[in-house]
Amino acid sequence: MSSSELLEVRGLSAAWGRTPVLMGVGLSVRESEFVVLMGPNGSGKTTLLRCIVGLEATTGGSVTLRGRSLDGVPTHRRGIGMLFQEPALFPHRTVWENVAYGLGVRRRPRAEVDRRVDEMLDLLRLRPLADRAPDALSGGERQRVALARTLAPEPPVVLLDEPFASVDVEIRRDLRSEFRRALAATGTATLHVTHDREEGLLLADRVVLLDGGRVRRAGRPAEVFADPASPEVARFLGYNVVVEDGTTVAVSPGDVEIVPPSPGARTGRVTLSGFAGERDVVEVELADGQRLECRPPRGSTRPDVGAQVGVRFQSVRPLTAEPGESPPVGSDSRSG
Amino acid sequence: MAFGMAVDRELVRLTRRLRGLGPILPVVAFVAAFALVPAAVLLANGVAANGGLGGLVRVADDPLNLQAISNSLTQGSASALAALAVGFPAGAFLGRYSFRGRSELLAVLVVPFLLPPIAVVLGVETLFGPGGAISSWLPATGPLGGGFGGIVTTNVLYNAPIVALLTAVGVESASPTLEETVATLGGGPFAGFRDAWGRPALVGAAAGAVLTFLFSALAFAAPLLLCGARCYTVEARVWSLDQVFLSPAAAAALAVLLVGFLVLPAALYLALVGRLRAARRSRERSPRPVPWRRPLLWPHAFAVGVLVAGVVGLLAAVLDAAVRPAAPGAPALSAFAELFGSGVTGRLGVSTLAATANSVFFAGVATSLALLFAVGTGYSMAGRPNAARGLRAVVFAPLVLSPIVLSFALAEFWRPAFGGGPTVGVLILLAQAALALPFALPAVEVALRRLPSSLRESAEALGASPWSAYLDLELPLVRDGLVTAGLFAFALSFGEFTATYFLATPTFTTLPVELYRLEGLRLPAEAAAVAGLLVIVSLVAFVVIVRGGRRVEF
Repeated sequence: MSSSELLEVRGLSAAWGRTPVLMGVGLSVRESEFVVLMGPNGSGKTTLLRCIVGLEATTGGSVTLRGRSLDGVPTHRRGIGMLFQEPALFPHRTVWENVAYGLGVRRRPRAEVDRRVDEMLDLLRLRPLADRAPDALSGGERQRVALARTLAPEPPVVLLDEPFASVDVEIRRDLRSEFRRALAATGTATLHVTHDREEGLLLADRVVLLDGGRVRRAGRPAEVFADPASPEVARFLGYNVVVEDGTTVAVSPGDVEIVPPSPGARTGRVTLSGFAGERDVVEVELADGQRLECRPPRGSTRPDVGAQVGVRFQSVRPLTAEPGESPPVGSDSRSG
Repeated sequence: MAFGMAVDRELVRLTRRLRGLGPILPVVAFVAAFALVPAAVLLANGVAANGGLGGLVRVADDPLNLQAISNSLTQGSASALAALAVGFPAGAFLGRYSFRGRSELLAVLVVPFLLPPIAVVLGVETLFGPGGAISSWLPATGPLGGGFGGIVTTNVLYNAPIVALLTAVGVESASPTLEETVATLGGGPFAGFRDAWGRPALVGAAAGAVLTFLFSALAFAAPLLLCGARCYTVEARVWSLDQVFLSPAAAAALAVLLVGFLVLPAALYLALVGRLRAARRSRERSPRPVPWRRPLLWPHAFAVGVLVAGVVGLLAAVLDAAVRPAAPGAPALSAFAELFGSGVTGRLGVSTLAATANSVFFAGVATSLALLFAVGTGYSMAGRPNAARGLRAVVFAPLVLSPIVLSFALAEFWRPAFGGGPTVGVLILLAQAALALPFALPAVEVALRRLPSSLRESAEALGASPWSAYLDLELPLVRDGLVTAGLFAFALSFGEFTATYFLATPTFTTLPVELYRLEGLRLPAEAAAVAGLLVIVSLVAFVVIVRGGRRVEF
């Protein structure tokens, strides 16, 4: 273990009854690092966070914080902060009292509580709301209070379990930059769970992709995006996965060119064609039944639904791993 | 065509209005005619016949009345505290954790409530009375078989499971994320209790404790059979004044005090249950596996064990006593032969077969009435929180009046108008329906609340008439709730003793009344056989309720 590694998970396994949910998961988080755990629904992301914080029993593996094993340590003594999808503010306490809660249960001196709560209220721009009851807050404000409350006791690492999932798009955009700024300002290491790939790639110092209870890929966002390595990761990142000359490759929707049907091109039928904001979207069903998403450049002619078209790939990324395989790709991944 | 469409439109409007206001009228009329108005007249007469409010003070000053008031208070409080001591930890455990057999355990806790109180009394005597199954093995438990101890034991066996169930409902309504948040912020088990699940659990437990207080302060069978006049509650004293001392004016005056005495706890119970329901509407918790390594949990698990042992012990004691020979040397089950023989019929003036038929008939009709009113009331409550509160209070009114005051008022108000004879039977089934309705309603209410609100609208948008939407979509979805409500009402009516005993003439004797009279005739084997029959009926109702995962609601 590197001295800078703060939280380390090794070979962690968990099950719901007889159904395995996590199978030998390994990952680590360094001091002040922002790691994003991504994966489709049901991949085990939330279960992994709950195991780390001690809310779910594990069937194998270990979790260490600054080299200290957390095995058998109850949740309230682990010193790991966690923010859930719903803010879970205490309805009978004001914003100020909510933020002070974690310091109060740790019996910190009153002066320290006052100082720290004020710092957190300022950091998350909550001072005008300090005396409000949680019921009187908007969805975004509640999440900011929940983050302030989580950060107040100065946990070395916080786990964020899709905290933006229940707010609308505009507030979500504001919140993610605010969260990132606050976490950077306090220097708190973060393990953030999301199934939104754009959010994950944008926020992360490093991403870890989980699928089917296993880590499929880990590394810096640009590195992982450039080399998804496995079909599962490629699909999650929005690539089309196709077999080209006997090799499984990933093709970005922007790299699929729609051409007239010709002997050298793959052919298919357009099943969806429309305007989708920045670029158009065309979906083509190939002769073998596979569907390709294409994002032709703005200004090009959009084919009608039902039209027979040809497709050509401008560039492809070979996938080195077989489906289901978990390649330890990425020099910076440290996944186990 | 246009005319047809207009008729359809009017029909839809009419149906909507009827769905809103229509179903309220029958239940309000029923409770008014067969509970509130007769009771108001009785209480007014009680005040007038004793020379105004000053007369009530004189009635309260009577040493025997004063003792009855004191007995109600002490028996009610002691029973509520004891039920709370066992029921709260058990309910907290059952609400918070999941384990194999949890749902069956929750179901078993309903059993005592379905048992006729008089059969529970007999069970306590069999377990703790002289020569009882437990008292002969542990002589120190002897005081639990009779007197004050016996009454409190009966009340606790009957009510502690209710406290546990309501506590569990409270815990289930707490947000599990809130509790987990407390833990991740560094709060230990006490902080979790204080800030996450403790409040709703305490609301549930308090509702259970207040209900225990109400039932115990109104206990009738237990003081009569286990202790006698020195332990009479106000309820038993009202009966005694009217039917033993033939002093209806004094009984009516004491009834005024009794109703005044019950209003506050009844209002408190309704308020607590309202809070519990509101919290439950917002979320329902998924219990977590039991962290057995925490030593703090063991007393909770032990409390669950005590409750289950109480229920199982009670059932075993009653059923064992029922199958014992009627006399030394006689074969097992001989008490049943005696029970249905001419000897018992001759001494009681009515056959056990006739008493069984009466019980089935009264309980059947009372259940049908209660169910009909519960469905109407349930629909009227859906989506109208203010109306729901008012309706719940109306439906709960017969319980606040207490079974004795209700039957006393019914007899005084309706008998002069229609005379005796068959009227007595009608009054019995009306009293039973009024007393079963408050317990049938919650199951119907919960079933209706779980109906997706868009269901009927989708069906109507697809062209279904309101009636076919109800028959094809809603009825199948609320069927379980109706079955639960019906069986619960049937079991309660079948075992109803207090009001029926007050009203019944020998022709209208039911099985619980027969059981009491057999005890009075010192025929314990035959009485035990009747108790066995009553318990079997309750158990059948219970088994049908829990089959398919149905759950009794309060």
